[in-house]
Amino acid sequence: MSDTLIGILSFPALLGLIFLRVPIGLAMFLAGLVGLVLVTGDTTIPLARLKSETYTTFASYSLSIIPMFLLMGHFATLGGMSQALFKAAEGWLGHRKGGVAMAAVGACAGFGAICGSSLATAATMSRVALPEMRRYGYAGGFSTATLAAGGTLGILIPPSVVLVIYAILTEQNIAKLFLAAFIPGIIAALGYVAVISIYVRLYPEAAGTRPRVNYAERMRALAAVWPVLLVFGLVVGGIYAGWFTPTEGAAVGAMGTGIIAWVNGGLTWATLGESFTVTAKSTAMIFFIVLGAAFYNGFLALTQVPQEIAGWVVGQGFSPWVVLAFILVFYLLLGCLMDSLSMILLTIPIFWPVMQGLDFGFVSLIELQGSKLAELIASGAEVAPALLAEAQASLAQGIELTRDQLRELGIRGATEGALERINTERVAIWFGILVLIVVEVGLITPPVGMNLFIINAMDRDTPMSETYRAVLFFVGSDILRVIVLAAFPIITLVLIPF
Amino acid sequence: MYGFFYRLSLVMAWIGGLVLTGIVILICVSVLGRTLNGMLHGDVAQSVMPALADWLIAAGVGPVNGDFELTEALVAFAIFAFLPLCQITGGHASVDIFTQRMSPGVNRALRVVIDMVFAAVMVLLAVQLYAGLLSKLSSGQTTFLLEFPVWWGYALSLIGAVIAAIVSVWIAATRVAEVATGRDILPADLGADH
Amino acid sequence: QEVTLKMHQMLPQQAAIPSQMLEVWANNVEEQSNGAIKVDRYPAMQLGGVPPELVDQVQDGVADVIWTVVGYTPGRFPATEVFELPFFVDDARAATYAYWTMYEESMRETDFPNMKMLATFVHGPGLFHTKDPVETPADLEGMKIRGGSRLVNQMLELVGATPVGMPVPGVSEALSKGVIDGTTLPWEVTTAVRSSELVSNHTSFEGAGLYTLTFIVAMNQGVYDGLSDELKAVIDSNSGLDFSMLGADVMLDFDARGMTIAEDLGNNFIEIDAATVEAEWVPAVQPIYESWVADMNERGYDGQALIDRARALMDEYKAAN
Ligand code: NA
Ligand code: NA
Repeated sequence: MSDTLIGILSFPALLGLIFLRVPIGLAMFLAGLVGLVLVTGDTTIPLARLKSETYTTFASYSLSIIPMFLLMGHFATLGGMSQALFKAAEGWLGHRKGGVAMAAVGACAGFGAICGSSLATAATMSRVALPEMRRYGYAGGFSTATLAAGGTLGILIPPSVVLVIYAILTEQNIAKLFLAAFIPGIIAALGYVAVISIYVRLYPEAAGTRPRVNYAERMRALAAVWPVLLVFGLVVGGIYAGWFTPTEGAAVGAMGTGIIAWVNGGLTWATLGESFTVTAKSTAMIFFIVLGAAFYNGFLALTQVPQEIAGWVVGQGFSPWVVLAFILVFYLLLGCLMDSLSMILLTIPIFWPVMQGLDFGFVSLIELQGSKLAELIASGAEVAPALLAEAQASLAQGIELTRDQLRELGIRGATEGALERINTERVAIWFGILVLIVVEVGLITPPVGMNLFIINAMDRDTPMSETYRAVLFFVGSDILRVIVLAAFPIITLVLIPF
Repeated sequence: MYGFFYRLSLVMAWIGGLVLTGIVILICVSVLGRTLNGMLHGDVAQSVMPALADWLIAAGVGPVNGDFELTEALVAFAIFAFLPLCQITGGHASVDIFTQRMSPGVNRALRVVIDMVFAAVMVLLAVQLYAGLLSKLSSGQTTFLLEFPVWWGYALSLIGAVIAAIVSVWIAATRVAEVATGRDILPADLGADH
Repeated sequence: QEVTLKMHQMLPQQAAIPSQMLEVWANNVEEQSNGAIKVDRYPAMQLGGVPPELVDQVQDGVADVIWTVVGYTPGRFPATEVFELPFFVDDARAATYAYWTMYEESMRETDFPNMKMLATFVHGPGLFHTKDPVETPADLEGMKIRGGSRLVNQMLELVGATPVGMPVPGVSEALSKGVIDGTTLPWEVTTAVRSSELVSNHTSFEGAGLYTLTFIVAMNQGVYDGLSDELKAVIDSNSGLDFSMLGADVMLDFDARGMTIAEDLGNNFIEIDAATVEAEWVPAVQPIYESWVADMNERGYDGQALIDRARALMDEYKAAN
């Protein structure tokens, strides 16, 4: 058997194991182990790799962000931040038709902003909001579907564990990816609010209203939200402003939410122990998948299959947009069966080399130099007028500036090397956000969706089929959003400076 | 027995959690020290209180030396310490959409086989981690800044890895016993949260 | 007999050493063995693990041929640190000559007994790349500067900077976010790290460079021993001093490219003249020499003898060329 064939056969073998309920990390690990033995002929290499690879995978400074974000999310709940968010949103929106559901989505977005995980967001917010929704006469399926969808905002609104892993796999700047996720996250929340208002018009019996609250009380509720804003501003703002690395941001966030929870009396020895056990389970689960994926991906590289797939796709001359469409549909389908983290770890090492080789025409050298020139003029720097006029004229004619011109003008970072880096970075960021959204849709698409399962389990009275039916409306808005963001990359990229 | 192994895993998770908290504090102290150090070197501090500023700098107000490598070694320990709890609570992510439709007997058989394979893998990981420890011990490799031996990190991690392996072997053995005796020993909802 | 060698290293295939040195070696070996040896290239750590593990990988047979920075595994190859001493190396070719000669004389036994060495070489002079200009050690006061090896970090502390230990791939992100105020690097790798786009001051030193790092290209001993005599001869004729010198040449060639990029960007070049180096910089770092010699003596080496031998060999090379 050739190495390539072994590599290709490992795909169905892996899926077979996963469908037989083998834990996903274990399945990848086994596929990698057996594959390595087959390709190298004996057990020497896989055993030698295991001597250091488990340790170095776990002893990672950049991945240490994951347990810290998980701890931060749990501290935030203990500190009463989720209740405060829901109360504030409910005060402002609750009296409208479908308003309590909208408040739940708003609170999910707010809580997602300090929590790195969708499952944690969904679980936390359903603990707070589900009883309220049921009390105001919301239908079971509509309530659970709303919270399942709202929970997916936890991945999209930074910080996000999945986005961190994507950034590490594609070697991109985590701060920029966080920034890029911001507008799509807001659009997602608005889309869900729109879905709710349509749904309550189609099925008026599915939602009740609660009495209007006076403005004094609303302002009081709003004022109680400041710790959330403080922590979110400190973590995301601090990472982006360069006060600290993403890992340091996670530590500062965990410390901040921990202190708030302690001050609010939510953090006791008992709840601290519970935070540790919850963090421990999720962390071990995630890192075992990371380990399995690292092992499996090392085996795949040895078979050269990803390189050959990338070469084949690029060689076919498909339009980049067709390739993108294929990849996104693939994720949507796979998302019905697998969880987002496993999908990212399994597929990005195969898809990213393909995407990296495609030209979506995001930035041209003329464009880059033009923007640098505009920056130069705006900065009010002293430049010889003749030099400036000459440069503007040649750019207007579509002629690139020469190195000498650039040097005399003192324009930094406008060379071809810089252009290539910017193009790769923009494709990486835009593609990353699209992938993030599709894998997140996977969390709520029937039949398998982690968020659906978790929330349905919290509301024993509601049959799964009701949740399935109502959630399709939210899935519809997700798909529409993916199409819009794919067609208009600028929405994702507008906040990212050159 | 279940109670003993569960409590053991819980204690490991708490120790790991405390170490994780320690990392959080370490990093925050380092960030704070770095920020203060920058301020003390700044124009304001150097013109208003130069002597005090220089004294504080000399006293070591600055980033924690080697915070990067300490974080790496300690977080590895924490994650290994988290593994036993994940094993004994069936916390690993899996897809049960297809197996749901199979008979309870098939599911039971699958569970035995999977838990046995998992135990074998956890033992393999612990044994190879030990081999790695020996190799780092003999090579004398140290970290960059603090220059502590790399094998210290391996040794700490080995504690969690060995306990995770023992817990996994016990789970697998119990599954076999369940099939042999036809009695349920482990709680039925083990692994049901996924 | 047909053999496939897995060649593993940390940088993308288009980087300087992979494309200009390792690729040449692989092609030569494939050709001269008439296809009996095939070399599979695995760039960017594709076979798994992190860069410091490359040494273990070639010893354990995970990879058959590796290229790595010796300083990534502090404490393992102590004798090679002699070339990392500050203001010690002024010519990468002379140092490479000394390095290979000393490898054959003593380091083969003391430091590298478990691998088949193909090349040992050093990079061009290391220098400061900083946000604010650095002209005297006092300018470094309070600056967070990234260093790439044990000795470089000690040196940074002595000249008054706050050393931040960090692997090369992390440098551009740390610079762009202000986590560090500058870095030490040779010009060569600035093209890959793109540091010249991020910071605009470059402080170099007349005469000996601030520091150098040492590299090895090595092969698994068992794989080499298992080759037929003919194939061993092919490997032998493609390793040694000449192949090491190719590494030094590639480094110097790419140093020039790195400088050109910084020039094109209109960056600020500061060169400290020899007299100022002697008066202000060398005394500041002098304690490293003493502590290193003491440290080496404790490990059972003769530290001063290593320094003297390296100096003598570098002078010998410069006199002959
Ligand atoms: Na989030
Ligand atoms: Na799904």
